[in-house]
Amino acid sequence: MKVSELIQSRQKHWRELEQRCSALENLSGRRVRAEAGTRFAALYRAACADLALADAYHLPPATVQYLHQLVGRAHNQLYRTRAFAVRKWYGELFINVPRRLYRDRSFRLALAIFWGVFILSSLMAFSSPDYADRILGQDFMEALEEMYSQPVAGRSDGATGMLATGFYTIHNTSIGLRCFAFGLVFGIGGLFALVFNASVLGAAFGHMAGGPHAGNFFHFVTAHGPFELTAIVLAAAAGMRLGFSLVDTGGYTRAAALRRAATEAVPSVAAAVLLFLLAAVIEGFLSPSAAPYAVKLAAAVASCILLVFYFVGLGRRHAFAGETPSLGGAAGIPPG
Amino acid sequence: MAVMPAVSDQLDTHIDIVTPENTAFEYRVAGPFHRLPAYLIDLGIRLGVAVLGWVGLLLAFGFMYMPEVGAALGLVLWFLLAWGYGGAFEALWNGQTPGKRVMGIRVLTVDGQAIGGMQAVLRNVLRIVDGQPAVFNLGYLGPFTYLLGLLAASANDRFQRLGDLACGTMVVVEDRPWLFGLVNPNEPAIGPLAAQIPPGFEVSRSMARALAAYVQHRRAFAWKRRMEMARHLAEPLRRRFGLPADTNPDLLLCALYHRKFLAATDPEGPAPAVPSPVPAAG
Repeated sequence: MKVSELIQSRQKHWRELEQRCSALENLSGRRVRAEAGTRFAALYRAACADLALADAYHLPPATVQYLHQLVGRAHNQLYRTRAFAVRKWYGELFINVPRRLYRDRSFRLALAIFWGVFILSSLMAFSSPDYADRILGQDFMEALEEMYSQPVAGRSDGATGMLATGFYTIHNTSIGLRCFAFGLVFGIGGLFALVFNASVLGAAFGHMAGGPHAGNFFHFVTAHGPFELTAIVLAAAAGMRLGFSLVDTGGYTRAAALRRAATEAVPSVAAAVLLFLLAAVIEGFLSPSAAPYAVKLAAAVASCILLVFYFVGLGRRHAFAGETPSLGGAAGIPPG
Repeated sequence: MAVMPAVSDQLDTHIDIVTPENTAFEYRVAGPFHRLPAYLIDLGIRLGVAVLGWVGLLLAFGFMYMPEVGAALGLVLWFLLAWGYGGAFEALWNGQTPGKRVMGIRVLTVDGQAIGGMQAVLRNVLRIVDGQPAVFNLGYLGPFTYLLGLLAASANDRFQRLGDLACGTMVVVEDRPWLFGLVNPNEPAIGPLAAQIPPGFEVSRSMARALAAYVQHRRAFAWKRRMEMARHLAEPLRRRFGLPADTNPDLLLCALYHRKFLAATDPEGPAPAVPSPVPAAG
């Protein structure tokens, strides 16, 4: 059989595969009927076979290149993105994340660093106005004083509460995600962001606690504090894990170690984003409301209990149980 | 511990993929000149939607005397566009954003498989690191300079930026294939010359490849250059076939090509027909 005859006989199948590829590309995500699927698979297999035997068939280079592109294109339509494995999210968030964090040394380290620096910084700012001045800068300090010079109570109604929630969501979550992403730079970026946020927030706390507006300040920050500060630590710890995986590879190549760490880091970042969201809702609605301080304190205590339950209670419970099928297995990043 | 081979067997931007069907095929990795325009298109779409969406929401809720709600929704929209745009599109559109689609590129895993939702989201969250230094950052929307990403991408075989390295993904060019028929050299002298080639002569695989490549490209060369190139293969063949010394080497190769690829009748007897593996369309 001459090459020209062979190409002639195959051409109509190749063209049909091309057309079906175009149709699937435009259809993007909608369901395909069963017979169309089997037909596509048969055409794809045939094109694969033709490509595999191209050398034996003496196909010219231009045709081989065409087949490479055709098979690649069809391959991408046959094996499509699995999008989001929504059903696995619950197990990931409430079993795997607490379990991993319970045993995770970066999280403990991040917690220790954040709270250590925070407390140190707030004590120093409390005792010496000079320190607060150096850390925060004159403008920021004046803005803080100005912000809390009026009583908090009744500052907001429903609509401004929504605006505030929107603002805090975007602002704080963006800081958290930044914290995580920069952890990639050998963990130093996350470490820097952690220490930076801890010292600035600590200085602001210490300074305001010693100032004349301490009552207003705590009236505002108490309720959402636990969620927000924990979320920052969580995001930074996830980033540090990415970075440290490049240093301590555990016997893998650096790229593979990074991929493994990333698989585990993503769900804890998702948990951090959820915490930021909760904090933003509280910060938008409860914190600026006229509710008495006792209510806000109760909210803070309740959120602390929830956090302890999540990290310690759920963590302990699942720490020694077997792995649940993780996102990394079916829909995530192959460990190799 | 396995040691990475110091020398990769990759020659250029083509990388080989072995499919589950055990067929090997190749992809072209997308370089900065495919990815930058895609990024700029996406950036334009995001900025446009963010600004228009914000104005639209403010106006719509302003008419209902609730401009704060409109502004709040606008902020949420901005946040989603800044951090979620790429991840959502790549997860739902099979590894493509609108910009990537226009440029004909797609995100795949390094094994050539489709990416998962988590990979799509992660590589887009890490985008901010690749984008450094950011001279101008509009609420995390960018535009970034991508110097760090460019540095990382030029240091590995698959043009992976840091986000790609962390997720095990790469961006490939998805060419729209175009099947040209076989080139048919139609100089009248080819026919008689083909008849003078001994019928028993068998064209080997490598020679067939060389012939096809030569005939496909010969029109791009001047007459003298063709002579120069064709001589190396045609001269020994001419002597072997016992053809006169003034035989045109270019046309001799065309004649061989004609006999191998095009001629209707096969002087060597019918070769076994190759059955088509495709069942008839139902």
